[in-house]
Amino acid sequence: MSISKTDTTGAQTVAPATIASVRGLKVHFRSKAGRVHAVDGVDFDVRDGETLGLVGETGCGKSVTGRAFLRLLPVPPGILAGGSVMFRPQTSCGGCGGEGCAQCGGSGRRPTPCPTCRGQGCPDCQGTGAETLDLLKVSDKQMRGIRGDRIAMIFQDPGKALNPTLTIGEQLGEVFLQHRSVDLLEEAGIDSGESGFQAGALRRLAGQRDRRTDRMAAALWPPLRRRAQSVRQALDNRIAAALGETQIPNPRNIMRSYPHELSGGMRQRVMIAQALACDPDLIIADEPTTALDVTVQARILDLIGQLQAKRGSSVIYISHDLSVVRRICDRVAVMYAGRVVEIGETDQIFNDPRHPYTKGLLAAVPTTRTPRGKLAAIPGSVPELVDPKPSCRFADRCAQVHAACTASDPILSAVNPGHDVACFLEHPTSPKTEAAE
Amino acid sequence: MQLRDYIIRRLIALPILLLGVSIIVFSLTRIAGSPVGVYLSHEMSPEEVLQIEQRYNLDKPLPVQYAYWLRGVTQGDFGWSGVASAPVAEVFPAKFAATMELSVAAAVVAVALGLWLGTYAGVRRNKMPDHITRIVAVSGASLPLFWFGIVLLIVFWANLGWFPVGRSTNDIWESIAHPTGFYTLDAILAGSWTALMDALWHLVLPSITLGFGAVAIIARMMRSSLIEELQQDYVDAARAKGLPERLVLKRHARRNALVPTVTVIGLTIAFLMQGAIAAEIIFRWPGLGRWMASAVVRGDQATIMTYVLFTSVLFLVANLVVDIIYAKLDPRVRLGD
Repeated sequence: MSISKTDTTGAQTVAPATIASVRGLKVHFRSKAGRVHAVDGVDFDVRDGETLGLVGETGCGKSVTGRAFLRLLPVPPGILAGGSVMFRPQTSCGGCGGEGCAQCGGSGRRPTPCPTCRGQGCPDCQGTGAETLDLLKVSDKQMRGIRGDRIAMIFQDPGKALNPTLTIGEQLGEVFLQHRSVDLLEEAGIDSGESGFQAGALRRLAGQRDRRTDRMAAALWPPLRRRAQSVRQALDNRIAAALGETQIPNPRNIMRSYPHELSGGMRQRVMIAQALACDPDLIIADEPTTALDVTVQARILDLIGQLQAKRGSSVIYISHDLSVVRRICDRVAVMYAGRVVEIGETDQIFNDPRHPYTKGLLAAVPTTRTPRGKLAAIPGSVPELVDPKPSCRFADRCAQVHAACTASDPILSAVNPGHDVACFLEHPTSPKTEAAE
Repeated sequence: MQLRDYIIRRLIALPILLLGVSIIVFSLTRIAGSPVGVYLSHEMSPEEVLQIEQRYNLDKPLPVQYAYWLRGVTQGDFGWSGVASAPVAEVFPAKFAATMELSVAAAVVAVALGLWLGTYAGVRRNKMPDHITRIVAVSGASLPLFWFGIVLLIVFWANLGWFPVGRSTNDIWESIAHPTGFYTLDAILAGSWTALMDALWHLVLPSITLGFGAVAIIARMMRSSLIEELQQDYVDAARAKGLPERLVLKRHARRNALVPTVTVIGLTIAFLMQGAIAAEIIFRWPGLGRWMASAVVRGDQATIMTYVLFTSVLFLVANLVVDIIYAKLDPRVRLGD
């Protein structure tokens, strides 16, 4: 897999090996005090198959950034104020059928050809030949097709992200009913050419579009009932397989139980099974281990890593736990007050941090050598994000603040290949952003 | 605990609870005086009165009187209703059917409209439909039932003449058989469209009057619990799976929002029984409520006792049903703990 340098200045030229690129993303929230600029011009790329860590303290906008991929923001008060989230959905590689070959670089998947130019390269796909969608602009229907199928999300607290009144099977099954109903019908031996009420009812049942009459007919009319049961069977097989893949023992029993009957680790496994059910290209993991015991954490992380490697999916790993990020991420983006202040390879960030905030963050992690009772902290607190002034957001807390920092806003520029920092200390003559609106 | 075991346990407890209720109510009604009044007329001499007292065991101590009453009840003898000039047990079924018909209609109106309004408003939080629903709900909860009923009566019966009062048009009522006593049911059984329309037409005003307050309470409860549920993570998780908003609401949020709402619905059943008294008087509905009101005025103790006993049974059964629905809706509910 060829890894190209993250280019954040020329917004339009993107290396084809990136599955998603975020440019100038702005998410604002309306509040009584004014507009809160929760995410204010975020830029980063997600490369094929990589794990990108998104770190920062609470309220820095990392979760909102993650949710913007699926447009899962509370609207109102959340406003998508600008920018783009370009995403390139992938398909199974034609050369090897998903096994992994030279053509797809072993990942078993390749970009979907652009429907406008059939892979020739055109303005729609920014010349890459791969279908490129702006997730902030696609229709609601198209977005629904992407959610859970091409991009999936693992939530922070599996105890809250599972519906308490539905069984595990009922909840996991929904992913297949929404995105794989054609496969389900095929597996149940229902001919796609068949027409008539029975076929129509079965199709509606397998796509969660069933009407009351369909349900009644499927319950009372024996021929339809038998066929509806075979669809049900196909669905159950898929659910059980998905659960089994996350090393849940006895998937057939687990799928009949309710979330409250499972332990936290088990629930997170269910969430992972649900997220990975349709082999998504991109997984957004929003602090997936924060609500779990430390002992379970490691196993869940290994599981996510294994399944990701098997599928060749990319992961955006949102966390404030630096030790976890260091262990599992290929690259790390550090966020502060709605901006990415530093992005680079994990080694670069942890061994050669350039931004004062990153340095402070790393110094704040206690080690076994930290003296008792003394924890390093960054003085001050996160600034109010209501109508921010055009200055470096970290200026108030930065020990090395100078005149340029309060006069204008630094933008990300390279300090090393693949390592970008937004700080005037590194770039005294850095090009300045236009004043924030 | 198994649902079946729970139901059996509750059914065993039912008679014990009723016994307690009856002792309290018996004592309270007897404080108001001797029930002998309903048997008397102005021509009777003191000796005759004494005779009647002896005949009905009214000269005995209170606990003994209670025992006699209880024995009567177990044998189906609920005493003599002075108001109806007939044994209570004889008049009761017809009046019971009339009241139940009205209450069920009102409950259907209240639950269906309440849940729908609550959902509608909850999804459109702080938008125009929500504000309008809030006005409806606040007025429903604060307008006294008797006042609201009288206004409906004046507007739709006295002035516009759109709806009738009473329970039926006499000749249509007499044209069909009444095996169940429920007019609508009897009309359907008889296959008479005219009778069914007549029955429903008579039901409109009283059931709206009776159900209006409950609509308000149910709608508000449904709205607030739906808003709360819509903010939960699992709703976003459902969206993240690619579910259309319709299913997110129907399969996920609404089902959870119903859990607290069902409790409120159970409580409104008692509210309906209370309201039935006023609604029946206003619309000349020949049911238990109207009978009860006259009985209270005239000191008809046998009727009062029967009514209270019946209301208690209804309340306990309604609560049992609510508990069952509750357990069905929310798998986390452990009945009997």
